[in-house]
Amino acid sequence: MELLGLPLAQLASIFAVAGAALVALYLLKLRRRRVPVPFTKLWDRVLAPRPASSLFDTLKRIASLLIQLLVLALLVLALGDPRRAGASAAGRSLVVLVDGSASMKATDVPGTRARAARDAVRKLVREMGPADQMLLAQMDAQVTALTPLTDDPAALERALSEYAPRDTGADLAGALRFGLDALRTAPHPELIVVGDGAYDPPRDTMGPVQMGSVPLRFVGVGRSGRNVGITAFAVRRYPLDKSRYEVLLELRSWSPRAERLELTLTADGAPIDVARIAIEPGATVQRVLPDRTGANASLEARIAFEDGTRDDLPADDRAYATLPERRRARVLTVTEGNRYLEAALLLDDYLDVTDVTPAAAAARLRAEHFDVVVFDKVTAPVPPGTRAIWLRPEGPDAPLAHEPGYASAPAGTALRFDRVERAHPIVRFASDLEEAHVGRIVRYRPGAGDHVVASGSAGPMLIAGERRGDRFVLFAFDVRESDVPLLVSWPVMLINAVDWFTGEDAAYLSSFRTGEPWRVPVPAGVDRATVEAPSGQRFTAPVLEGRAVFLGAEAGLHRVHAGDDHRLIAGNLSDPRESNCAPVATLDVNGTRATAPRAGRAGVRRELWRYLLLAALIILTVEWFTWHRRITV
Amino acid sequence: MSLLDYFRRTKSSPAKARDDLFDEAFQRRLEWLAVASRRLFGGRLRAERRTKKSGSGLEFVDHREYAPGDDLRYLDWAVYGRSEKMLLRLFEEEEDLAIYVLLDCSGSMGMGEPSKFDHARKLAAAMAYVGLANLDRVALIAWSTAVTRRMPPARGKGRIFKVFDFLRAVKPDGETALADAARAFAAENKRRGVAVIISDLYDPAGFERGINAIRYQKFEPMVIHVVDPREADAGPDGDVTLVDVETGDARDVTLTPALAAKYREAHAQWRAELEGFCKNRQVPYVVADVTGPFEEQVLGLFRRVGLVR
Repeated sequence: MELLGLPLAQLASIFAVAGAALVALYLLKLRRRRVPVPFTKLWDRVLAPRPASSLFDTLKRIASLLIQLLVLALLVLALGDPRRAGASAAGRSLVVLVDGSASMKATDVPGTRARAARDAVRKLVREMGPADQMLLAQMDAQVTALTPLTDDPAALERALSEYAPRDTGADLAGALRFGLDALRTAPHPELIVVGDGAYDPPRDTMGPVQMGSVPLRFVGVGRSGRNVGITAFAVRRYPLDKSRYEVLLELRSWSPRAERLELTLTADGAPIDVARIAIEPGATVQRVLPDRTGANASLEARIAFEDGTRDDLPADDRAYATLPERRRARVLTVTEGNRYLEAALLLDDYLDVTDVTPAAAAARLRAEHFDVVVFDKVTAPVPPGTRAIWLRPEGPDAPLAHEPGYASAPAGTALRFDRVERAHPIVRFASDLEEAHVGRIVRYRPGAGDHVVASGSAGPMLIAGERRGDRFVLFAFDVRESDVPLLVSWPVMLINAVDWFTGEDAAYLSSFRTGEPWRVPVPAGVDRATVEAPSGQRFTAPVLEGRAVFLGAEAGLHRVHAGDDHRLIAGNLSDPRESNCAPVATLDVNGTRATAPRAGRAGVRRELWRYLLLAALIILTVEWFTWHRRITV
Repeated sequence: MSLLDYFRRTKSSPAKARDDLFDEAFQRRLEWLAVASRRLFGGRLRAERRTKKSGSGLEFVDHREYAPGDDLRYLDWAVYGRSEKMLLRLFEEEEDLAIYVLLDCSGSMGMGEPSKFDHARKLAAAMAYVGLANLDRVALIAWSTAVTRRMPPARGKGRIFKVFDFLRAVKPDGETALADAARAFAAENKRRGVAVIISDLYDPAGFERGINAIRYQKFEPMVIHVVDPREADAGPDGDVTLVDVETGDARDVTLTPALAAKYREAHAQWRAELEGFCKNRQVPYVVADVTGPFEEQVLGLFRRVGLVR
């Protein structure tokens, strides 16, 4: 016999204190009710001394005390949670990883695979041995422990109700490492995976997962995998005509037979296109829907089988995307006259361009607010909140210090854009920039945090940065001393700069992929954002480097509230691994094949404290009954 | 208007107004009882009871030797003519009966609701009223360990309000010692008569000694045993301390149904002993149940003891 609850010394202390209190209470004289009677002499006839009975009474009192002490001993012993010796040593430590990925929403089994997994885990709980302990965790893009290691079946079953699959993939490698860590010091460890087995090989940045000596068990769920899913859905505005956009859609079939689908595209809930698509088993179909117009905010693509049946995984039958919001930006050009600049800015219908001479610029800037100011070879104080495009600024108000004079290429040659930081949004789609020729440049000295977006042999030629929270772009040359205005890149760079200033990033993502960290741009000065998921769940996300960061676990349209900014974003499963929901009967981890789990050594849990409590209750009941029946009084 | 009505109007007292034990309704009941008793024993003359004493009555009892100074009118001349012996004719003397109502005023009489004491006082009033109505000499004696209060012998219905005042004034208190009280009573009352003991007879010294003390003093004892049947019940089960209301004696008892049954049995046995004792000594014994109807009890009492015949 061993004690899993309070240690023996503590139990002894409790018994000593409580026993002493019990004996003290027992020795206290019973305060009797006083009953007036007319003639006690009559009672003497009834209460005549009976020596034998007196002895019996004494014995009864002692027996009563001993019974009370016995009950106390049973209760104290129950606190110790006594077990049969060796029972705990033989107990297993089980970590059960329940697949919570999107494929567990498949309906190829009665209910869903998630329901089948829940039933399987419940069976495992019921088959636990008396000394077994189990930790329950949900495995999706993250690993979420639902319980600690516990031997309480009720707690495990309660935690099981919290299990719900999400619209993400399953990180088997992370889950296995979590389980191995949890079992590191546990006796008789076993790791059990309950899921459909459709996982990538468990490998992460630390390499393949090594199970070591921990046995791996696998309980497979799922029957079939007839599925056609939307694996990609994206929308983008045309860079030079943002009133129009194009849609990219990719479908893939994992169905064992050819399927005929009906694709419906809706914009803000209104259907804008319906198409019929035939797709062969294992085939991928891409559709590009160009030249769409409208001031829509969100798009939804939906597929359904023409024959009215449904595939096994509805989670990837819908996809969502959002369009970047368009708003008119006010642009002030401070120039003595620059046709190239004017022509480039005229290409964007969403720009409201105002020209002003350098002499009148300061007064105009004081009087009005402009989203963007373009300084053409002039400088002026820039009011806070104004972003600027500087075309070779020279003077005291220039954003960057520069060397005096100009730098030019050797005679007979021209300066070229030798190095271009293609990832920067300013030069996105500026595909012909390397073909440009520049006569001379001013050598600016970029400050800390400034990006040299493009540079040539003479120095930086295109610099982007931020001052007091306001972004700027600086061209180190006069466009009139180059052939840059003749290139497509010229208006593209200007419009990219305006978009970059106004938050209309050309790298705008029309949809995010679930199971990954989402980084949603939010206005400057906001340190947290509130996210409203499609299910209605609200949570707060921290803001890092101007973006709200959180793990997207739900497909659909999310609302992100950050200060006064309210933004709609879309999340899609877009995971071919999950869409391929055909169950896998076996699970191999680095050459180790998982086996079926085995039941605990005893089907009945022998927790003696229950019986001790029951015994105490029975004794108290008998004592109560005999006392009230005046048998032991 | 009855005589009681007359007295009721002329002799009402503040005490009477305060105490409703002998209220108007009770007085009407007493009047009815007196009438009923007359109907039962109609045709009798007042003070018609014979006594053991010989005297100047009408009925011949015996002869005795003539002694100088005797009234020659009672000399039996016929005997003298036959035997020349001078014998005096003796007649049974007719006199009014002395009734002593001995009311137990010990603490145990105050128990119960209605209390035995109230019932006993009403019985005493009824006895006194009928006695007074029959022109007997009625005296009331309150006692516990000794005679605590007394009302001198009185005759005539008009004295009933003195009886009421007396009965209102007594309170149940103290222990029971009938023998001591009887000795004191006998010493104070030379004229023998009927001694009606109204008591619960919870006497620690034993009821036998008390009754015998009255018998030995040549009184005719009559026992009205005031009984509250609820006293035979032991009360609720549990650990209790039984406290004697008179002596303060305490007994720690755990009451059980079995013990209660035993007590009920002991109580009944004690009552049987008391009744047997009285029967063996030809002492009239009547049980007055406090929960029973009063009028029936009183009429039964009269019928049983032949107090009025």
